[in-house]
Amino acid sequence: MVKKRVPDWLNSSLWSSAPSVDDDRLHRYTSEPAATTSSPEPVVQPPVPVPPPSATTAVVRTESPKSDTRDSRGNNNVTNDDNGTSSGPSAEDVSRQAQLLVELSKKIINLRELRKIASQGIPDGPGIRSTVWKLLLGYLPPDRGLWTSELAKKRSQYKHFKDELLMNPSEISRRSEKAKSYEHDETNKGPLSRSEISQEEHPLSLGKTSIWNQYFQDSEIIEQIDRDVKRTHPDMHFFSGDSSLAKSNQEALRNILIVFAKLNPGIRYVQGMNEILAPLFYVFRSDPDEDNAASAEADTFFCFVELLSGFRDHFCQQLDNSVVGIRATITKLSQLLKEHDEELWRHLEITTKVNPQFYAFRWITLLLTQEFNFADSLHIWDTILSDPEGPLETLLRICCSMLILIRRRLLAGDFTANLKLLQHYPPANISHLLYVANKLRKQPSI
Amino acid sequence: MDVSATKRRLLKVIFLGDSGVGKTSLMNRYVYKKFNLQYKATIGADFMTKELRIDDQLVTLQVWDTAGQERFQSLGAAFYRGADCCVFVYDVNVTKSFESLSSWHEEFLKQAEPADPKAFPFLLLGNKIDVDDGHSRAVSEKRARQWCDSRGSMPYFETSAKQDYNVNEAFICIAKAALTNEEEQEPYFESISESVSEVETRGGGGCAC
Repeated sequence: MVKKRVPDWLNSSLWSSAPSVDDDRLHRYTSEPAATTSSPEPVVQPPVPVPPPSATTAVVRTESPKSDTRDSRGNNNVTNDDNGTSSGPSAEDVSRQAQLLVELSKKIINLRELRKIASQGIPDGPGIRSTVWKLLLGYLPPDRGLWTSELAKKRSQYKHFKDELLMNPSEISRRSEKAKSYEHDETNKGPLSRSEISQEEHPLSLGKTSIWNQYFQDSEIIEQIDRDVKRTHPDMHFFSGDSSLAKSNQEALRNILIVFAKLNPGIRYVQGMNEILAPLFYVFRSDPDEDNAASAEADTFFCFVELLSGFRDHFCQQLDNSVVGIRATITKLSQLLKEHDEELWRHLEITTKVNPQFYAFRWITLLLTQEFNFADSLHIWDTILSDPEGPLETLLRICCSMLILIRRRLLAGDFTANLKLLQHYPPANISHLLYVANKLRKQPSI
Repeated sequence: MDVSATKRRLLKVIFLGDSGVGKTSLMNRYVYKKFNLQYKATIGADFMTKELRIDDQLVTLQVWDTAGQERFQSLGAAFYRGADCCVFVYDVNVTKSFESLSSWHEEFLKQAEPADPKAFPFLLLGNKIDVDDGHSRAVSEKRARQWCDSRGSMPYFETSAKQDYNVNEAFICIAKAALTNEEEQEPYFESISESVSEVETRGGGGCAC
């Protein structure tokens, strides 16, 4: 996973070009072997009818992100001090922020260096986390000179996906009718002729290829997405309520999840994906750079795809019993605990019979977004995204530390007390938690 | 005082049903006496306990709230095992949630493997009867009762977690039904004695009164 930080498709010369590499992953994710997708990566190729000509000519605008203004600030403030061990956490934060700004202002950003600083936590300085996460997820290339064109390309690509995938079938028919009539008979200005509806395009057609059949299947998923998007962080005004901000943010989450579900027919939408999406969208949407904030939906989509590429096997029911599925990952956590704290492992799993699946399923599939308050989750994600061991290994070490940190209470508890405690993890000092997690790594720390 | 009467029985209850029918809401209404319009989707399973007394018998209900999405079903076995009662929930305003009940039923029998599937206690709750004063109702009470009759006269309750209608009654019935389940001592709870001399032997339909 560490090596596979930046998947090929993200760097490939746009997704529209025909893929060449053969990847057996496709067959694991698509439910039917005879699926219409011919692409090696299900993520890339939309399984939709050929796009109408109008949609393919999406305008690629070159925007110049204002983030360049950070250069001067960063350079002035910092005199490359080695690490912020000086005085108190706030001074440390300031120093780390300065270090990050220096690193971000370089023409070619040193990712290794960036990881090292970011894994300690990213201070809530304006826009820093947003830029750093995009770099860590491989969405922004290390070469700053490429940012403008890369972002423009990706954002237009996402617009293209939305144009194709968020339309309902009658719009598709209408569009292709329109395109046809322009092609074949531009001079026809007479009375409107009734458009012929082919068998495939009739809403009551039961044919498997009917676009309406596909549409009705989709609508069930869309209902599920709607239901979950509405209950994403009900306690935060950013996501919930009747404000126009909340409404437009919900709309963005909804669009992303629908586009993702349609591009990944083998996984589609799994409950909880909204919770993984929320931190990414929140961070990108809150970027003080207006262009970035305005394009948060597109940026979030690609970063979500990238983040999930390391975890998506957990969402795939067919893989539940495989070595890459969620059960196997939970077993890894159990082994990690046994390795580091056998007494606690024994008490939990043998004495009180707390099956790790009872609590760790949510911890792992939702990347700890439900166990702490939102700000603390972001802090944990800084480490999950930046640790050179990779997101999954890092996540498991953090989960193991969560158990170790409350070991005394767990050792004193029975089944009921322990399960309640683990399903409602008590407020914790996150820096300390991450410190312990760091200590658990096999290799000497970075 | 009879010693056995003071021993607490631990009863494991599983809630199953489609996503969004109100499983979490019903449990929160009963256990914590509260209602919230927006509970997050349940991922995996949540766990709550509630102590109550059924005819001099102290009982701890251990209620498992499971995820409704189909994707999570294959993970069910770990949660279903050792259950004393299984409660199905559907939304009376959503036909599909009613039509899914049979597959939830089959899924439970397949994964939990109760010793005697015919005698195992099940219940059905039709929730959200408050919505739109019942005008948006899509499944009639008659249809629901027919389904219950076809499954060995399963007790049926119409509930509203939001308005706290019939929730307490349903849970009392759940506890009684679970008590009838003659399960062997569960491996999880060895510390809790189950040496109860007498167990309620009422039929499931009996609690509907």
